[in-house]
Amino acid sequence: MKLSLPKRKSKQAEPAVADGDAEAAAAEPGPSRSEKRARKIAAGKHHSAEGGKDVAGWVDSRTNSTGIYTALLARHVPKGTNWFYTLGSATMFIFAMQAITGVFLAMYYTPSTTQAYASITHLTNDVFMGEFVRGMHKWGSSLMIILIFLHMGRTFFFGAYKYPRELNWVIGVVLLVLTTVMGLTGYLLPFDQRSLWATVVANNITASGPVVGPYLADFLRAGPEVGATTLSRFYALHMMLIPGLIAALIGAHLFLVVKLGTTAPPWVKATRPKGALGEETVPAGVPSPDDAEVPVGQAAASEPTPEETPVSEPAADPADAGGPDAGNAGEEPADPGAEPADDGEASA
Amino acid sequence: MSDSKNNNSPAEEPPRVTLPEAEPRGYFEGESMTRRKVFTAASLALGGVASMAVVLPVVGFAVAPLFERGRERWVAVGRLDDFKPDTYKQVVFTETPGIGEVGKTTAYVRQGSAEFDEDPGEYLAISTRCAHLGCPVRFVQAAKNFICPCHGGVYDFEGKRIGGPPVRPLDRFQTRIRNNHVEVGPRYSVTNQLKAVRARDPGEFTGGIWEYLYPPRPSTYPPPSN
Ligand code: HEM
Ligand code: FES
Repeated sequence: MKLSLPKRKSKQAEPAVADGDAEAAAAEPGPSRSEKRARKIAAGKHHSAEGGKDVAGWVDSRTNSTGIYTALLARHVPKGTNWFYTLGSATMFIFAMQAITGVFLAMYYTPSTTQAYASITHLTNDVFMGEFVRGMHKWGSSLMIILIFLHMGRTFFFGAYKYPRELNWVIGVVLLVLTTVMGLTGYLLPFDQRSLWATVVANNITASGPVVGPYLADFLRAGPEVGATTLSRFYALHMMLIPGLIAALIGAHLFLVVKLGTTAPPWVKATRPKGALGEETVPAGVPSPDDAEVPVGQAAASEPTPEETPVSEPAADPADAGGPDAGNAGEEPADPGAEPADDGEASA
Repeated sequence: MSDSKNNNSPAEEPPRVTLPEAEPRGYFEGESMTRRKVFTAASLALGGVASMAVVLPVVGFAVAPLFERGRERWVAVGRLDDFKPDTYKQVVFTETPGIGEVGKTTAYVRQGSAEFDEDPGEYLAISTRCAHLGCPVRFVQAAKNFICPCHGGVYDFEGKRIGGPPVRPLDRFQTRIRNNHVEVGPRYSVTNQLKAVRARDPGEFTGGIWEYLYPPRPSTYPPPSN
């Protein structure tokens, strides 16, 4: 089987992030890795913490946590990454804030039609910092909606929804719907006049959808009118079902972000080293290695190093060049969505 | 790993162990395709049965209210001679029990009048819930119209829509006479021709093809026959 061995090799040569990583030294001349390991086993020290400083190493050797760290925080991002790319994380932060403040609000809230309003006034007026925590939750809900729309706008206007990231867009749309459902179900919980009538209206709007609308409204209200069961139902949805779904989908969303990498802004032109073949000879969907990507915090190398330009025969074996994920999980795939530059504009 | 840097000299590379090729490819030697298929299918089926055993009752539990009709409630709203055929009297009663004040609703009640070919012995209770989005309408005696404060919906004396965004006439409540008192019962909706149909939510059309686009829900009461 042909595998992209050269890439693996270069990955191994990368310096390890955490100290205590026994493999870090493997690349240096000296005793080979297997020899070192044999010595450790003889000394009974393999996979054991060598003093306090190696706790991280001990955990790492069991969980590959440095790999996770590298994938999440030390991954390659495209040149031109800017503040707009933080909108997704900002949304995620607000979601975490809602989850935390929500748990504490639940300590005082009573989901019953006769006690809900009183429990909210008690929480707001009597409980220490209650108004502040409730305020965070209440304002945070609006903020999350604003941020999720800005984030969606960012991915839309940067064309980040295109191949291979369509699925992340789809997951995003589901997250958007679930976030608005959180807003709807949360609004009823104080059970004051405004909550009640807003919910009545929202249910009427739901019911006005043809064919399924009337049944969907009955499902939401748990009957033909908004009543006591509606409150319990919204409480369960708001507290348990929807947050769980959102958390799971954020996990999937982030997994895809890490796996596929992020898109370069549309105004960043991919540079093409001199002598590289023109775009027309590159099979569609095969990432080109000259994509404008640099490790975080580093300037782009103006001249490509020899090993970065194995493009002499890009069309020779598409399986070797790999699809978007190419079987080398740690590596950033080049972005096929970015506009390839003309040969004339190549190499900055 | 043959060309890895970790190998000091390529000559020391251990000889490759070649496993016997299994047929079909990807299967262990001696393993038959059917055996693996049977186990895969069995695990999926068992897992499916186990998950369904949990999911079906839970979903049914959540969906059940769709098919449940609440207890039929009849509330006395006034004596027979409280109501006249030429004007409406406002009454307030509890439509949804158990949620306090907000469970109350308002209706306008009058005696049937010969003018609108209703049986003068009957009583008519019109719901104040606007057929547009559910705001409370008000009866204006001078105009003999119901007027909605929200988006300007206007209904005539019988509750038929004569202006604004509402999609059908005002809902009604069934009425009956008990012990010299008028009692109001379940809600129902009407078509533009005032034909009684099962109660619809605000915003839903009634009559004709709309009966299929906004189908009647099992949680509502059958309309009175007319
Ligand atoms: C709970 C809500 C959401 C959270 C927490 C979230 C989080 C994130 C994060 C942290 C990223 C990394 C890059 C960045 O921040 O721009 C990202 C990327 C992305 N998100 Fe979201 N997101 C959410 C909702 C959405 C929605 C509503 C959409 C669109 C319908 C969407 C579409 C995308 C796409 C297409 C990417 C890939 C961007 C790229 O490759 O450059 N997300 N998301
Ligand atoms: S709610 Fe009555 S006109 Fe809109």
